[in-house]
Amino acid sequence: MIIVNLDVMMAKRKISSGELAAKVGITQANLSILKNQKAKAVRFSTLNDICKALDCQPGDILEFRED
Amino acid sequence: MGYNNGIIRWTKIATVLFIAMAVVADVFGIVITKYIAYCWADVDVTDVTRVAIMAVIFYLGTVGGYVVLFALLKLLSNMSKDKVFDRANTNLMLIITLALVAIAIDCAVGGFIWNGAWILTIVALFMGLIVMSVRVVFDKAITMKEEMDLTI
Repeated sequence: MIIVNLDVMMAKRKISSGELAAKVGITQANLSILKNQKAKAVRFSTLNDICKALDCQPGDILEFRED
Repeated sequence: MGYNNGIIRWTKIATVLFIAMAVVADVFGIVITKYIAYCWADVDVTDVTRVAIMAVIFYLGTVGGYVVLFALLKLLSNMSKDKVFDRANTNLMLIITLALVAIAIDCAVGGFIWNGAWILTIVALFMGLIVMSVRVVFDKAITMKEEMDLTI
């Protein structure tokens, strides 16, 4: 399964949920869905904006783990 | 949107009219059953048992009819509240299908006394098939909507 390590990256960059949501242009509710592994899919544009805001690579946020 | 609401309103009115017709049919149930028994099914006037069985089948059929009509009314109410792609609607469609199958079984039993009831069995099963097909489409659409809603 794919794990979203957004909270780890956010802690590293010392950025709050509200700040990141504002930078990426998504709602805090959607960011929460992403952080809580509830999301079914992520748009490339959203991933692009998150990587830009956190100055990281997609691999830093997404991780594959065996079920 | 107004156009769709108009359709929903008129369909609701039609459903209420059908419920009223079912109530009238229940009130005159014995008269209707006797008419079908003596005029269509050629039941002997002295054969009270067969008429009684037909009456029971008739009333059981109307119970199924009420379930279908009230479920339909609830479905239309949900639609008018813009609650379209909702699991409650698919559950209502399942209830309608099961009620139609029950009516079909009821009519199939009635077919042993009056052959015309077989036609009602086929009609009920056909309607059940259509409702079930629509339910499958709705179920798929709800799953797709949920996935879309969880795409960030």
